[in-house]
Amino acid sequence: MIKLLKYIRGYLRIRVSGFSPERFMNLCSNRGILLSNIVREGDVYYMNINLSGFWALRPIARKTGTRVVVLERYGLPFFLPKLLKRKVFMGGLVFVVAFWIWSSLFVWDIELSGNYRITDDMLLTFLKENQVTVGIRKDDLDIEELEKEIRRRFPEITWTSAKLEGTRLMIAVKENDAPILSQEEPGEAGQDLLSQYAGTVVSIIVRSGVPKVAAGDTVEAGSVLVEGKVPIYNEDATVKEYLYVDADADIVLEHTMEFTDELPFDYVRKEYTGREKSRYYVRFGDREWKMPQERPFLVYDSVIRESRPLILEKLSVPVYTGSYTYREYQNVEHTYTQEEAKEKLKEKLMVFLAGLEEKGIQIIEKDVRINTNASAWVISGQFVVRENVGESAATQKESGGETLK
Amino acid sequence: MSRSQKKESLVESLKLPKDICMGAIKVTMTGNSEAWIENYRGILEYTCNLILLQGKTCRVCFEGTRLSIDYYTNEDMKISGCIACVRYL
Repeated sequence: MIKLLKYIRGYLRIRVSGFSPERFMNLCSNRGILLSNIVREGDVYYMNINLSGFWALRPIARKTGTRVVVLERYGLPFFLPKLLKRKVFMGGLVFVVAFWIWSSLFVWDIELSGNYRITDDMLLTFLKENQVTVGIRKDDLDIEELEKEIRRRFPEITWTSAKLEGTRLMIAVKENDAPILSQEEPGEAGQDLLSQYAGTVVSIIVRSGVPKVAAGDTVEAGSVLVEGKVPIYNEDATVKEYLYVDADADIVLEHTMEFTDELPFDYVRKEYTGREKSRYYVRFGDREWKMPQERPFLVYDSVIRESRPLILEKLSVPVYTGSYTYREYQNVEHTYTQEEAKEKLKEKLMVFLAGLEEKGIQIIEKDVRINTNASAWVISGQFVVRENVGESAATQKESGGETLK
Repeated sequence: MSRSQKKESLVESLKLPKDICMGAIKVTMTGNSEAWIENYRGILEYTCNLILLQGKTCRVCFEGTRLSIDYYTNEDMKISGCIACVRYL
């Protein structure tokens, strides 16, 4: 720190010789002139003196009968005039600083975080539609309005935060984890529960409504399980009126379920020949410069790898480098062997069973066979399952009945 | 009790810094390579092997080899080099 201060104020290396250099030093210190790095060599003294002190040296030197010779000059007061002579360099420096300040007025990077279901592409497309792109002026950006607009456009986003950090626009969102409940219109009361399948009722627990079946009953698809029409009787056991309610019950139905799937004998498989060609490119914002290349292979797919040098990422400069790798392949026809086919079909079955499990369906019995038909392997299965059933449908109203809620 | 003894006991009892009130030279040394000196009048002699300083009440002589003064102001100075002996004259 002191060194920097000395450098800014400037100092000289001087040689002092003559009658009484010690007295010269004492007088300097008395007048508050800082001396440093005092070295004696023979009869002469070398020392550093600050620039302002040097101008006050003449009377001291005269009084003490010493001779002062300037050896070297250090510091900004000597360096700056030299620098100012170099006009082109100074012009360049001014231009660089001006460019730097000017370029900091723009957004150079957009960073998204917190989005899982809404992809980056969706958000970026939305931003583009709202004229928020890399290269927009910071003044043109209305952050509050942008936040509102994001929430308006994507209802599943419950919270947004946009902020500018330097030249980087950071958008953080929070998506709604809980499923959005569809607001059902509270319609007229009176809903029955119907069975979707034909089967046997295993258990029935009714919370509201009148049960029409009991455990052990066999029902048809579409038949009423619980009625949303509760009769109110007169004393003479005739129906006075009906009270309409939304039937609600837990009904477990045992029914059979079928599953079939096919796997053709033949299939086409990509076989990579191992020949690859790479093509490098540099991307700046939306503009891309590629190495020129002809159509690399007859049949190929390509893999894009893109990266940004760390320093450019830190500086939010939208410059990316990357490569396309073209991989040649051939379409080869194959036939499944029996083992392969069984394996594949089993996989499909497992996916189906996992789907059932997810829905909370209990499997009681299963019977799965793998056969062939004219062109494919066929898997077919019959399952006896227990499943929660109950589909709401409007109750048939009795004429003259009164609806109570 | 002499005048200087009276002054010393007064300074002692008031817990004032002695180096200022008594005009004593204050020498701080780090090993034998560096020394900071405060409260002196000036330099009487300076060679590579000897630095003689004038204080208010006495003189101090630093002897050694390759002695140099790192900085020298009205308040304090720093001597560096290989100090072999400090003598009060």
